Amino acid sequence: MASGNSILVQLDNLVAEVFADWSTSTTIIAGALVSFLVFLFVNSKDPDIHPFLLARQSTAFFVRQPGETAGYRSLETPHGFPLRAGLNVKEPGAPKWTSGRKGDLRDIWKTAVRGPVGDDGQSTGKAGKIYTVLGRKAIEHQLDQITQEMNVIGKQLQSFKAKTVAVCLTDSVEHLATIFAGAFYGFRTIIIPHNLEPNALSTLLKKSEADVLIAEAGALDLSLVAKSNDQLSHVIWVAKLGSRHMDWNDVPADVQGRLGVSVWHELVDEKQDLEGLEVPSWEPNTPTPSVTTVWQSASGERELIEYQPENLVSAVAGLIYSMPRNQRFGSSDLVLSIDSLSRSYPLCQIMSALFQNASVALNSVAGEGVDFALATVGVSPTVIISSSSTMANYHEKFMKPHSGVLSSLARWVHSRKLDAGCMPSHGLLSQVASIGPTAELSLDKLRLLCVSHRFDADPKGRLTSAQLTDLRIFTGARVVYALTGPRVAGAISQTNVFDYRRLSGPSHFGPPLSSVEVLLTGVSESNELEGQLTVSGPAVVSGKTSLPVQARITDSNTLDLC
Amino acid sequence: MSIASPINLILLSLFAVVIYLQFRPKAPVSLPKGPAPVVYRTFVPTTLLEFNGEGERGVYLAVRGRVFDVTPGKNFYGPGGPYENFAGRDASRGLAFQSFDKEMLTEDLHGPLDDLKDLEPEQVENLQSWEERFLEKYLVVGKLVAEGDPEAPKS
Repeated sequence: MASGNSILVQLDNLVAEVFADWSTSTTIIAGALVSFLVFLFVNSKDPDIHPFLLARQSTAFFVRQPGETAGYRSLETPHGFPLRAGLNVKEPGAPKWTSGRKGDLRDIWKTAVRGPVGDDGQSTGKAGKIYTVLGRKAIEHQLDQITQEMNVIGKQLQSFKAKTVAVCLTDSVEHLATIFAGAFYGFRTIIIPHNLEPNALSTLLKKSEADVLIAEAGALDLSLVAKSNDQLSHVIWVAKLGSRHMDWNDVPADVQGRLGVSVWHELVDEKQDLEGLEVPSWEPNTPTPSVTTVWQSASGERELIEYQPENLVSAVAGLIYSMPRNQRFGSSDLVLSIDSLSRSYPLCQIMSALFQNASVALNSVAGEGVDFALATVGVSPTVIISSSSTMANYHEKFMKPHSGVLSSLARWVHSRKLDAGCMPSHGLLSQVASIGPTAELSLDKLRLLCVSHRFDADPKGRLTSAQLTDLRIFTGARVVYALTGPRVAGAISQTNVFDYRRLSGPSHFGPPLSSVEVLLTGVSESNELEGQLTVSGPAVVSGKTSLPVQARITDSNTLDLC
Repeated sequence: MSIASPINLILLSLFAVVIYLQFRPKAPVSLPKGPAPVVYRTFVPTTLLEFNGEGERGVYLAVRGRVFDVTPGKNFYGPGGPYENFAGRDASRGLAFQSFDKEMLTEDLHGPLDDLKDLEPEQVENLQSWEERFLEKYLVVGKLVAEGDPEAPKS
């Protein structure tokens, strides 16, 4: 008892002695410690997504065929449930529990024109707009006017009895109007990249049996194209704003008589009084024609890929639902595409923006390799759709050389935030961090970057995990990174918008979209998760395709190229 | 009073610990790998027999050439269960006749499979509804062919 008592007494004395040394400096240190703890507590934030959801991002089926991996699917559409095949379009006033139609391009345009509505069919906001960006200036278009142009051109093409219309334009409202006119007025649309040489264009026209060509006035030698394309009966020129005063109705002597030539804006001016601003009505569930795009592989070969409307709506739905609800496009968004509409990922993303009533900006210089800094002046977008090579180039040129002390510090602070699973806010620090590389850009409102990578693109253009982190930090926007392939509309897979994990090496491509199922074939016994990429599902042309590339499934069940 | 008093040192080291805990590198979360998927395979009656629930292996049974993994329903299909005769066997005829007797099984494991040609329409319907239930509940892990079939695996 006595000894126990004495230990307690000794302890008491020790504590008393220690505290007897309390001084001003002790108060300062204690104050600093407490305020640091309070600071940590106030600043602590839950991660944007539960880490477990990033640790296993897709589900594998329980059975696999010999020599193949199991099928991998998005967490939204697990095995045993159908893959996402459509937009679930409901008529206003339809009961909540009924399932909607798959929809097609007509529904997308109608929804865009109608504007956002609530469950009861009452309007809840204004319809989006379409901007075309020409250098530093942006021209605003009302959707009603585009509907009218679409009606004029559609009727005109119907009177030509056009079955297949090839459109070879820079990204513009005319380009978009032609694609939708195809769905409303029943002609196949062939989207041909605008920067092809005449011979290549001619070959593609021949292959696709196009009877009408819509192209930029003055950008094309008509006699050369017409010479090897007997099936071509009409050409509609789209004249740029600056060259509309010229007479484009001239037909070269050697094709006179068999080739009709008209001019887009003249047709619209002539007939707009006859056509209403209303979207034409249609019988639900009547089929619409296909949309064909050109896949240009690394070897320079060009393949025509005919997407059925079902493929497109499935891909659009897959892209919409790959985003959590609060990250989806909405009526307050302005979606700028600096990647060409002739590629299926930007096309489907623009469709999804229109379907969600976002405003859309099209850039006439859009393409796979453009100058990011130049292409984004003119408007202040909230979402940018771009290609991996554009972003890799931009990172190389602007972000990498930018390594001042201040921005390195900001970068470090921000990357710590990202590691904790939170997106750094556009605060003072990000202003400091973005002093250099993005100061010339109008990216204050940017919240999302959608980057796509062709499976057969130059591996140098593949973005690394570190580059994606830099993009997040310096632009202050979240990033999704998608893998695209021929015969798969939209994308094969896309990273989770909340996946900020910093891994080593090239970034993975996230889990499959809910519109496809992915499996690898030709796997060896020693490495069961590496093989040739095979994609199936409603977004895939004819249901299934195999891509000539080796891919692997990562530890977090995401897709990666070898 | 010097700054290096014991209480100051204690507080400073506490501070250091807090800072270390805050800034130490954290490994990203990883989940343990799920069970490896079962490889789809082609069975003959003798190899299917190994999956009768005795020992380590699961319980499989075949219905019209499709092999189902019924291990989750081991209480019914495994040893000691009411349907134990079906474990590791072709259960088509038994299910069609709603009978769990041994007579319903194909006796000769090396012979051809039961072609079920003599079933009444009612029994075919019976079999179909069983098959649908199995497809809903259990995984198809392979198919059953007779010995000597061109598809049969070579031993």
